[in-house]
Amino acid sequence: MQSAAVGLPDASDDPLTEAVVDLVLRGMWRGRPESEHRPLVDAGLAMAKGPVVLPTERAKATVAQTLRVPAGSEQEQRITAAYEAFLPVNRQIRDVCTAWQCRPDGAPNDHSDDVYDAGVRESLEDVHEAIQPVLRRLEQVLAGSGRYLTALEDALDRFDDGASEWLASPLCDSYHTVWMRLHQELLLVLGISRAEDAAREEELVTRSRG
Amino acid sequence: MSVTDHQEPGVRVADHQEPGVPVADHQEPGVPVADREAGPSAPSATAGPGRVLVPYGQGRIRGLDAAELGSHGAAVDGLLALGLPVVPGLTVPAGAAASLCATDTAEAAVELVEQLSGRRMGDPVRPLLIRLSASAPTEVAGLPPDLPCLGLSPARADDLTAVIGRADALYEVWAGTVRMIAEYALDVPAAVLDDALLDTPEPRERVELLLSLAAEHGSRPFPDDPAQQLALAARALLNRWDSPRARRSRRAQKLPAELAVALHVQALRIGPADHSGYGTAVSRDPESGRFSPRGAFFPGVRRSAPPPHTGEPLERLAGGTALLEHSLLTLERHLRTPVTVDFEVRDDEISLLAAAPQPRPPLRAAVCLAADLARDGALGHEEAVRRISPAQVQELLHPQLRLTGGEELLVRGLPASPGAATGAVVLSSERALELAADGTRVVLVAAETNPADVPGMLASAAVLTATGGIASHAAVVARGAGKPAVCGAEGLRVDRAAGTVRFGERVLREGDPVSLDGRTGAVYAGTLSVSVAGPPPELTTLLEWADDVRRLGVRVNADTAAEVDTALALGAEGVGLCRTEHQFLGARLPLIRRVLLAADPSARDEALVALERAQHEDFRALLTALGNRPVTVRLLDAPLHEFLPAPGEALDAAEEQRAAALREANPMLGLRGVRLALLHERLYPAQAEALFTAWADVSATGVRPQLEVMIPLVSLPEELAAAAAYVRGAADAVAARTGVEVPYRLGTMIETPRAALLAGELAEHAEFFSFGTNDLTQLTYGFSRDDVERQVLASYRERGFLTASPFARLDPRGVGALIALATERAREVRPGIKLGVCGEHGGDPESIAFCDGLGLDYVSCSAHRVPVARMAAAHSALREPGENSGSTR
Repeated sequence: MQSAAVGLPDASDDPLTEAVVDLVLRGMWRGRPESEHRPLVDAGLAMAKGPVVLPTERAKATVAQTLRVPAGSEQEQRITAAYEAFLPVNRQIRDVCTAWQCRPDGAPNDHSDDVYDAGVRESLEDVHEAIQPVLRRLEQVLAGSGRYLTALEDALDRFDDGASEWLASPLCDSYHTVWMRLHQELLLVLGISRAEDAAREEELVTRSRG
Repeated sequence: MSVTDHQEPGVRVADHQEPGVPVADHQEPGVPVADREAGPSAPSATAGPGRVLVPYGQGRIRGLDAAELGSHGAAVDGLLALGLPVVPGLTVPAGAAASLCATDTAEAAVELVEQLSGRRMGDPVRPLLIRLSASAPTEVAGLPPDLPCLGLSPARADDLTAVIGRADALYEVWAGTVRMIAEYALDVPAAVLDDALLDTPEPRERVELLLSLAAEHGSRPFPDDPAQQLALAARALLNRWDSPRARRSRRAQKLPAELAVALHVQALRIGPADHSGYGTAVSRDPESGRFSPRGAFFPGVRRSAPPPHTGEPLERLAGGTALLEHSLLTLERHLRTPVTVDFEVRDDEISLLAAAPQPRPPLRAAVCLAADLARDGALGHEEAVRRISPAQVQELLHPQLRLTGGEELLVRGLPASPGAATGAVVLSSERALELAADGTRVVLVAAETNPADVPGMLASAAVLTATGGIASHAAVVARGAGKPAVCGAEGLRVDRAAGTVRFGERVLREGDPVSLDGRTGAVYAGTLSVSVAGPPPELTTLLEWADDVRRLGVRVNADTAAEVDTALALGAEGVGLCRTEHQFLGARLPLIRRVLLAADPSARDEALVALERAQHEDFRALLTALGNRPVTVRLLDAPLHEFLPAPGEALDAAEEQRAAALREANPMLGLRGVRLALLHERLYPAQAEALFTAWADVSATGVRPQLEVMIPLVSLPEELAAAAAYVRGAADAVAARTGVEVPYRLGTMIETPRAALLAGELAEHAEFFSFGTNDLTQLTYGFSRDDVERQVLASYRERGFLTASPFARLDPRGVGALIALATERAREVRPGIKLGVCGEHGGDPESIAFCDGLGLDYVSCSAHRVPVARMAAAHSALREPGENSGSTR
C-alpha cells in the first residue's frame, strides 16, 4: 500500500489526484479526450481499453487511501451517521430502479402503463425527499459532497423532461449512476467493504421495519 | 384446477345492477342494513353531518358511482354485491370529502364505523382503530398515502400492544401517521421533521418526538380525541392531494388538475398477532398460470407497504384459505381477468380490504384464464383469441437455454435480468473489454459489484454476481444495459488473483464457457444453445383456435430438415422459402466454388454432378420432413462473392485469376439470382433435377409434398421464361430417367420494383409469386440495409421521417403499394395465382395485417415467429368486420 501513493503529491486538490478520484468513483471514463487520461496512464493509474479508460489496481488503492478519513475521528463518526441514514434509502432507490425496469412479475416494463410509471415516479419522489436531509448533513462534514445533490437533481430534471434513461441507465450520469458514485465515495471515505456494507444495510432495513 | 365447479351464474348476472342483493350478511352479525339505516342510534340519513357518510355497499343504492365513491368505494360495492366478505367502513363521496375535516362529521363517521364493526374506540379488550384512505374515480398513481392508525393516544397505546402481543409495528405505523398529519395539517415544516427524525431511529421515540414537535411548531397540538384526529387526517390527505408533487403526478398521468378524491374510513380491528393480520393474494400462479392463490400474509398491525421478506405463505393462515379461494374464483369469473385482493385476518377470519383486476397479470396467467373461461363456455373461442396479442405470444416464446438433461448446473442464483446467454468467464472489466474487442462473447463473473465493474458489464453478454439481489446495483445496471443477469449466486467464490471461480467444489478458470438464464437464475457449465421456447400447452390451445379464425396461411423460411421439424411443431403449414444457397455455405462451400471456378466445361460438369448429388440428399431429407405440405424451393440466389475464395486463398494461380475476374464492385446488384443461372446454364437444371429426383424418391414412400420451384431476382419476363425452360427441361429429364412425372408449380420472386410493375407479364409464366420484401424494400428505397441501419435509420426516426425500420415493418405506402399493384396486375392475368410474402416482414404483426388486407395467400417467416404470425393473422381476420381494434383487455 505504501508504494501506491508514491509519485502522488499530497495535496488532494492536485489535478492528477482529482482526476484519479473521479475515475475511480466513476469506474470508467468513456469518450474523454486523450489529454485528460494520458497523464493518468503515464502515472500508472489508468489503462485505456479502446474507447474506455479504466482505473488500475494502484489507482484504486491510492484513491482509497486518499479519501479515507482518520479512523476514530469525529469526522468519521459524523459521516458514519449520515451513511447509516443513507443505507435504508439506498435500498429504496434500487427498488425504484427495479420497478422502473421490471413489472412486479419480473417482465420488462414497456412503459405502456402511465399509472404504473407515475407510481414509480412517486416512489422516486419519496427517495428524493428522503435523501435530501441526509445529503445536507453530509455536506457539512464531507467537502465536495454537495455536488451529488446537484447531480441527482439534474438527473431528475432530465428524467421529468421525458429522457427516461436518466433514472437508471449506466450510460449517462443518471440518478442511479450518480447514486452509485456517492455510495462508492462513502465506502472509501469510511473504509467499509462491500460485504460489510451489504450486511449493515440489511440490518438497518430490517430494524427500521421492526 | 378448473373453475367450472364453482360457477355461480347468479353472481355474474347480479353484477352491480341488482339493487336487491342483500348486503347485510357480511357485516357484523346483529347489525343488519335496515337497522343501521333506521335505528335510533344511527346518524340521520336525511340531515346533519351523517348525510355525507355512505356505508360500504350502499353507494349504488344511493345512486352514486365511481366518480363520487372513488374506485375503492365502487369496488367495495361490487364485492358486497357478489356476496363476498368485506371489512366494515364507509365512504365520504368526492363532492363532500372536505366535510370530513369538520369535527361534527368526523364524529358521526367514528360513530358509524363503531356501529358497522360492532366495536368501540378505546375498548381495551376488543380495540378499534380507524384507517383513512383516498381514492380517485379510476386507478391512479400519486394518491396520498393511507393514514393507517387513527384513534391512538399515548394513554391507550399500552392496551393495544397488550392485545397485539407486540409493539414494534404499531409504533412505526403510528409515527408515519403523526408525521403526515404534522406536516400537512398542523403545518410543521418538513425540514424540522426530517432533521429530528434523522437522529431518532426508534419508532416509539419517534412518536413521542413527533407529538412534541407538533406541540412546539404546529398550529395546534396533536389531539387525543379520535374524531379530532380523523378530521385533521382528512385535512392532511386533501392538502397532500393538493401539494405540488401530487399535481405534478396528475399532470404526468394527464389527469385533471382539480380531480376530486373520495375518502374512505375503514375499521381497523385490532387482535392478537397470532390470529390477526393482513395479506395480499393473486388468483394465479405466475409461473404456470393455473388457478392457485399465491400471496403473503403478515401477522400483526397492517402497514401501508408490507415490509419485504416478512410475509408468511398463505398456507399458514390458521383459518384456512377456502374463503380466500372462493373470493378469488368469484372475482375472476366476474371480472374475467386474473385478480388480486388485499385482505384482513381477524380472529382467523378473512375479510376483503380491496380487490381489483391484477394489474398487468403474468402472461401465463392471462393465457390460462382465457383458455379456462373458453373451455367453460364463459367466453367464445374468438374472444379468447382476441385477448392474447401477437406481441404477448412473442413474449411467451422468449429465448432460453435449450436443456437436454445432461447439463452441469453450476449454481442457481436470483433471476435478475431476463434473457439467456453463453460466453467465456471473465473476472474483471479489463479482461472483459480485451476479449470483447476480439469479438469473444464473455460473461462477467464478480463477487460483488463496484462502479469499476460497469464497463465490464457493458462489454459482456451476461453478468453473474455472488452477492446482491434482484434490486442490487449490478441488476439495475444489467437491466439498464439490456444484459441477462443472475445475481446473488450463493456459494460462488471469485479469486481474481488465481483467475478462478469456485462453485462449491467445481472450479472454472477465466476463459471457460458458461451459460446462464436470467429468467430462471440457472447457471450451467459449457456452451448451451439458446433457442426459442416451445409454446406452453394453454397457448397451443389458443393458437389452434387462432388457426380456426385466420384466413392467411403461415409458412416458414427453412432450409434444412431440422428447421422444418422445429417449424412444424410451432404450427407452420409448409415452407414458404427454402434457400438452396444456404445448403452450400459451410462444409459444402467447395462444391459450388468448383462449379463457379471450373477451368473448363468438363471440370464444371464434374463439379455439377457432385453438387447435384449433395443437393439430392438435402432435398430428400427436407421433403421427407415436410410430408404432404407445400414447399417453395428457391433456386440459387446469392451474391457471387459469398462463394468466392478470399484473395490469396484460391487453390492455384489460375483459379486465383478466375476468382479475381468474377469479383464485383457491387455484388448485391451484380451477378446473382437468375442472372447467374443464365450465365452458368447447367446450374438451375442441375438443382431442379436434384429436387425432382428427390421428390420421386420420397413419393415412393407415399409422401407427396407440393413442390413450388421459384426463380429469384427476376426483372425481365424474358429471364423468367428462360429459367422456366430450364426447370421444364429438368422435369422432363427426370421423368425420362425415373418414369415419374413430378407435379410442381413454377413461380418467381417479386423483389425488384420492375418485377412488381411487370407483374402482369410475369404472371403469364408464373403460377405463383412470392414477394421477397427484404430486397424489394432495399431496391424500392435504394437502401443498402446494413449501411442504412448503421448510419441512417436512427437519425430518420429521430427526425420523425420514419416511425419504424422499413425492414422490420413493411412500408405500406411505397413497398406495400408495389405489392398491391403487382397483386392486382397478376390476378388480372391469372386470377387464381398463389401469392405469398417471404421476407422478415412475414413475422411482423402489422405487416401481416397488411398482407391479409390484400388477400394474399400466406406469409412465410422464420420458425420462431410462426406462432406470432398465426396469432397476428387471426387478429387481422377478427378485426375486419368493422371493429376498430382487436385489443385485449
